[in-house]
Amino acid sequence: MDVLILCAKTAVACLLIVAGGAKLSDPASFASTVRLFIPLRVAWPLLSATAVGVSLGELAVGLASLTLPAITVLNTVVFAIACAFVAVSAMGYAFHRGRSCRCFGALSRRKFNAAGVLRSAIIASIAAVALAHVGTAALQLDVTARVLLFAAAALLALVAFTAARARGAGSEPEPEVVAQ
Amino acid sequence: MVLVGSFVVVALVLCVAAVLALFGVTHVSMSGAEAIERDGLAPGTHAPVWSLVDSTGKVVRSPPRTPLQLIMFTDHSLKAFPSVVDGLREIMAQERLEIVVLTRRFNELAEPVLRLVGLTGISVLTGSPSLYAAYNVRVTPFAIFIDSAGRVRASSLVNEAWQVTKLLQLADLPLEPGNLAPRGRFRRRTAGAGA
Repeated sequence: MDVLILCAKTAVACLLIVAGGAKLSDPASFASTVRLFIPLRVAWPLLSATAVGVSLGELAVGLASLTLPAITVLNTVVFAIACAFVAVSAMGYAFHRGRSCRCFGALSRRKFNAAGVLRSAIIASIAAVALAHVGTAALQLDVTARVLLFAAAALLALVAFTAARARGAGSEPEPEVVAQ
Repeated sequence: MVLVGSFVVVALVLCVAAVLALFGVTHVSMSGAEAIERDGLAPGTHAPVWSLVDSTGKVVRSPPRTPLQLIMFTDHSLKAFPSVVDGLREIMAQERLEIVVLTRRFNELAEPVLRLVGLTGISVLTGSPSLYAAYNVRVTPFAIFIDSAGRVRASSLVNEAWQVTKLLQLADLPLEPGNLAPRGRFRRRTAGAGA
């Protein structure tokens, strides 16, 4: 059972890292999604800053959850974020059906639809599993292990960033021809 | 029984799996059929507008004055594609067609190579990576046919002679209403040293 809980905790942490890293590769696109959920007219720099903030937040929580597993309050934070995903998916499905959600930046072309709400609910349920108590022995990390995990998480974020940038460049070119 | 520190093992395994999955997704998206189909511009799309001067001082414009213009995105490496050269020779005599070679950057070898393979009278233009990006071209040799209205009629990566001639046939087909893309998909400015 403990292994299942650890898998759930790690899987959601990895998901947050990938989502954060991928979104950071193209914050302008994610800002256009953020704008869908802000009813007021907001200046673009503020939207862009919000998009970067959300992306960095996901990345930071994912990194912390992975490298500081003994801090149980992080499990609650991760679960709250997962619940926010469900709420955003449901609102997107209700008001912006068919629009791109950019949940993973350019890595995925998912749109706001019923399947998206279901996916978010599954993620939230996995995050709920991670709330369960695990024996402290399993979460004991020495400095070396912590550094190793941080390096792995950073690598994951970097790969997600690069992959999203590569996919984004190929799929939606909006270049500007400059005068020579 | 859970071993001490088993979280590290689980976390590392999942991280490695996620990294491998991302590599897989990226590889498929950049090298698969999906990626090749994405290159170039769709028929009906308005192509970038530019004017460039070739080495002889001739100003070449796109859209062209002729009914059709074939922009070959290539360089001196064209000599490695003899079949494509054959295809170009087959169609270059047509008066309604203007063929130009657009290099990604200045390439002094391009013109001698074209002469060497018998493709004389073709303007060799020095483009730029941004111009290549505007046409969504990553891999060469790539062919794009433009009509005099500046719309893309056909575009594809070419490796064989028959692909060049087939593209010309496709370029002659009337555009379907659904393929008439609206203006402004690309932000355009004149890209050229010419007038």
